[in-house]
Amino acid sequence: MKNIVTLVFTLCLLCAAQAQAAMRVDIYGPGENIVNLALAAPLTAPSTEAKGLGAKLNTVVLQNLSVLPFMKLTDKQNVLGGTVLEGYDNPGVDFKRFQIAGSDILVTAFWPKGDGNNSTVQLRAFETNTGQRLFGKEYAGVKEKLLPEVADRFCADLLEKLTGSGAFFRSTLVFSQKTGKMQGNLYLVKPTGRDLRRITNIQGEALSPTWSMDGRFIVFTHLDAKSHALGVWDRASGQVQRIRFPGNTVIGPAFMPNNKVAVSLSNGKTPDIFLLNHAFQKERVLESTGAINVSPSFDSTGTKMAFTSNRMGGPQIFLKDLNSGTVTRVSQNGGYNTEANISPDGTLVAYSRMTDYGHRIFVQDMLTGVERQVSFGPGSDEQPAFCADSYFIAFASTREGGRGIYLTTRHGGEARKVPTGGGNVSFPRWGMPGTGDGK
Amino acid sequence: MKRFALIATLIMALAAGFGCAKKTTDEAPMSDTGISAEMQAAIDQITDARVYFAFDRFDLTPQYKEVLKAKADLMKTYSSIRVRIEGNCDARGTQEYNLALGEKRARVVYEYLVVLGVNPAQLEMISYGKENPAVDGTGEAAWSKNRRDEFRVIAH
Repeated sequence: MKNIVTLVFTLCLLCAAQAQAAMRVDIYGPGENIVNLALAAPLTAPSTEAKGLGAKLNTVVLQNLSVLPFMKLTDKQNVLGGTVLEGYDNPGVDFKRFQIAGSDILVTAFWPKGDGNNSTVQLRAFETNTGQRLFGKEYAGVKEKLLPEVADRFCADLLEKLTGSGAFFRSTLVFSQKTGKMQGNLYLVKPTGRDLRRITNIQGEALSPTWSMDGRFIVFTHLDAKSHALGVWDRASGQVQRIRFPGNTVIGPAFMPNNKVAVSLSNGKTPDIFLLNHAFQKERVLESTGAINVSPSFDSTGTKMAFTSNRMGGPQIFLKDLNSGTVTRVSQNGGYNTEANISPDGTLVAYSRMTDYGHRIFVQDMLTGVERQVSFGPGSDEQPAFCADSYFIAFASTREGGRGIYLTTRHGGEARKVPTGGGNVSFPRWGMPGTGDGK
Repeated sequence: MKRFALIATLIMALAAGFGCAKKTTDEAPMSDTGISAEMQAAIDQITDARVYFAFDRFDLTPQYKEVLKAKADLMKTYSSIRVRIEGNCDARGTQEYNLALGEKRARVVYEYLVVLGVNPAQLEMISYGKENPAVDGTGEAAWSKNRRDEFRVIAH
């Protein structure tokens, strides 16, 4: 009897897995890195376009999706017969007009009780070729000021269906804005450009910010004319603490999954990577060789550490297994590879390589050993940072003159700029999904 | 009595005048900042001459070892002088690596000065990486001027 129950349970799981697989749009595979998506006009009734909150929500959703490097939005002018449909769910949706316009996915919005304040909206996504519903969800209590939040939640849910993770729309980026020589503060922003705000107001320059796993702290290198320090921003108080270390060197801190910080400090001869305890005091050495060791980053298990070292001459990327202590060289090409950043799933390491035309971002697959260039300038592309989904990569680039923050994917999708209000910005780092709103 | 008082005043004024003259000839002239001319010259010599490096290198060439010997002699002569060695890099490298490289550049000079007999208590160091360029712009002419150690007198 027990065996039969187990068999039935296993079959159920297999069926569920197959259903899930059928719903998943694979944007990870090579050559499948563009998704064409269309938004139908929002409806309050069959063939009746919603022109209040409905229209505004569609605009915000479009803005959100436009920052995805693999997303191509269908121009509604290209949809023969227009985007106002008779229905919002199967049957009643004319998919053919969207197929003809080249759309792979169609999103419909239905406001059953009108699209005034404090109303309800149903959002659905379909595959246009099969008419199969990928996803559908109802959001109640929608008000004008909540539209960005509704759009973020919907886009996160949609992305989760498409890629398996909605972390992109649930994350907050921290970055540094330089305002002068050794002057700069930290800011937060959603990858869509919303909720931009400054979180530090300190003399000197804040570099290399990084989030704690719980989203409470951001640590960073603080540099002024006299000293280096570890800056610690506490979301609870909004205050910045400045911690100095012997040797006057603090470079590139990174949080481990256990919320401890690894950072390069001077050992009296050269910068080495130290682990700090929860009170930000030296606990032990993580990597020391007599050469420069900087820019640690960790996978989500905290057992793999990617870092930069010049132990073989020029700077190269290395990976240390913290369980075995084994160190392997990651970057095999180029004479100057720095700014290692390992994906949370531990399968990829991104870094920037100096070329004759500026730095470019490369990603090495740690399973196959294959290296892929994912940024192409112009200008200089630096400081890659993986999102929690191990798919999106934020980086800093001078491609438009001043330094801005851009998004691409591990496949090198067309880079999209994150609106940061201008200025010379750098060091984008992702917070864990749902933890980093900074409020 | 009036005449006697006048003569006494003149004698005191002359004595005072001789006294002042003697004092100014015995001591070094003072600058506006209250530093003796010799001390100011030493400070200038310590701060003026920079040490330059090749790209991604932090080794001292013979030329700059001579520069540092002169600085060391002055620092040993004026033991009240404290100097901050500031390591810098050009704009081509990346920021975190350059902070480390700048530290290596500052440290190599620190250690050489100590070997030459400078009291370590007279020295401190910092790396600015590429955050504090001496000159703006690109090209080797600008980059070579930015790969440097600067010397700032922080006490005397």
